[in-house]
Amino acid sequence: MGRIIVVTSGKGGVGKTTSTANLGMALARLGRKVALIDGDFGLRNLDLLLGLENRVVYTALEVLSGECRLDQALVKDKRQPNLALLPAAQNRNKDAINPDQMKQLTHTLAEKHDYVLIDSPAGIEMGFQNAIAAAKEALIVTTPEISAVRDADRVVGLLEAQHIKQIHLVVNRLRPDMVQVNNMMSVQDVQDILSVPLIGVIPDDERVIISTNRGEPLVLSEDGSLAGMAFRNIARRLEGERVQFLDLDAAYDTLFTRLRRLFSSPR
Amino acid sequence: MTSDFSTAAATPQGMPDQISQDIGASQIRFKAEAGQLLLFLPTTTTVDIDWQVLLQHLQQRLSAGNRFWQPHTPVHLISGDRLLDARQLQLIADTLAEAQLPLQWVHTSRRQTAVAAATAGYCLEQSTPQLPLRSATPTGSALADPLYLQTPVRSGIEIRHPGTVVVLGDLNPGGAILADGDILIWGRLRGVAHAGASGNLQCRIMALRMEPTQLRIADQVARAPEHPPAQFYPEIAQVVSGGIQIIRASHFSRDLSLPLPKLSESS
Repeated sequence: MGRIIVVTSGKGGVGKTTSTANLGMALARLGRKVALIDGDFGLRNLDLLLGLENRVVYTALEVLSGECRLDQALVKDKRQPNLALLPAAQNRNKDAINPDQMKQLTHTLAEKHDYVLIDSPAGIEMGFQNAIAAAKEALIVTTPEISAVRDADRVVGLLEAQHIKQIHLVVNRLRPDMVQVNNMMSVQDVQDILSVPLIGVIPDDERVIISTNRGEPLVLSEDGSLAGMAFRNIARRLEGERVQFLDLDAAYDTLFTRLRRLFSSPR
Repeated sequence: MTSDFSTAAATPQGMPDQISQDIGASQIRFKAEAGQLLLFLPTTTTVDIDWQVLLQHLQQRLSAGNRFWQPHTPVHLISGDRLLDARQLQLIADTLAEAQLPLQWVHTSRRQTAVAAATAGYCLEQSTPQLPLRSATPTGSALADPLYLQTPVRSGIEIRHPGTVVVLGDLNPGGAILADGDILIWGRLRGVAHAGASGNLQCRIMALRMEPTQLRIADQVARAPEHPPAQFYPEIAQVVSGGIQIIRASHFSRDLSLPLPKLSESS
């Protein structure tokens, strides 16, 4: 039985789908069999990020209605044979599926895969309830903004009420230069509010946008981008490896900022 | 320094309308009595709460307070005039069972709930329905037992309790506690705290670190100052003539006997 992990955030646009695609790809490259489930029924786009849009024939709904078998709906990744995607239906809304059906699908996938990652939709309504129904673990994705953190906090509360206790935090789109001059919440500020163990920090990087538009997850590129490296590190931490956090401040370090950090009292 | 916080920031306003008089009646409540646990459901006459929300409350309270109940303590469900079908009774029993609490008794005034409970095999006590007028709480009733929660109160969670509330954890921004008695936060207070919500001006709010969105005591309201203080101490908010005043906890015990504590300039 594989691990079932939901990737969720509450707020939209903080990078749930990007994280799901990259972590799925990174885990598959580590030799694990990974299934990704697009939990965003009605507004699917995980297939776009993976560049698999034109290979989708059946969706989760057809599986549930018995029109096809589960392995027919699963889209194998074109680059990485260990990675498969179960697409969501584009033409229906989020009420087209219920939590019990989602559980059934997820458990079937978990039998044959090491990881099942569920990309949750934004919000806390039915689509979210579906996405978390079968999950045993959760990754909370948030950006260092008060609105995103507030929503993430709400979602953590809901996950805890659903007895999902294994929750880890991914801080996305951090800009170390802005944090240094106190114009952005630091990772520590985010952690203070959420009190959830940190599993990764992803710096803001325009190459994420490029990779999204190309349908090529960033972890595949070998150009040494920090964001891609950060995703690969999260995958290794999920595997239980102890990996040092990236020193994101390094690029902005001068003697002056180092001194200031030394003297500014840690709160 | 700490006195600035209160006097400068205290802005007495009209109280928001949504503060109901019978504060605890809208949320579920546990009460230990003679080795048994009584679970009160909110009556339908006060507020009509969504069933999902009710179940979430139950799960939150169970996970926040389970340290205090021995496993296998029999539970009496006091459902009052709330209509429960067999499926809902089963869900409540399942939720309690996850906390190792067996549901044994069902007290209800609704015939259909009684039938469902009897069919499911619970001990039953059916009372005659009371008229809403007669069931209104008499004036001058004593406060309920203190509510002790070991959990962060996260965004979106609102705790209402007709007595004193003690929280072992943070009150996060977006979270709220409304209590008829005092509020003690053994952690950071960053959300909204309303003590003495039914009008008791003598209630107090205590926190290890006061960074509230808003403090309310009875009909008084105070906001935090625009610029947070450089250092934080355990503090206590109370009503003095003219508004809410905040003093350091170390001063409080010294001035406990005085009706109006005077702050020394040395703070």
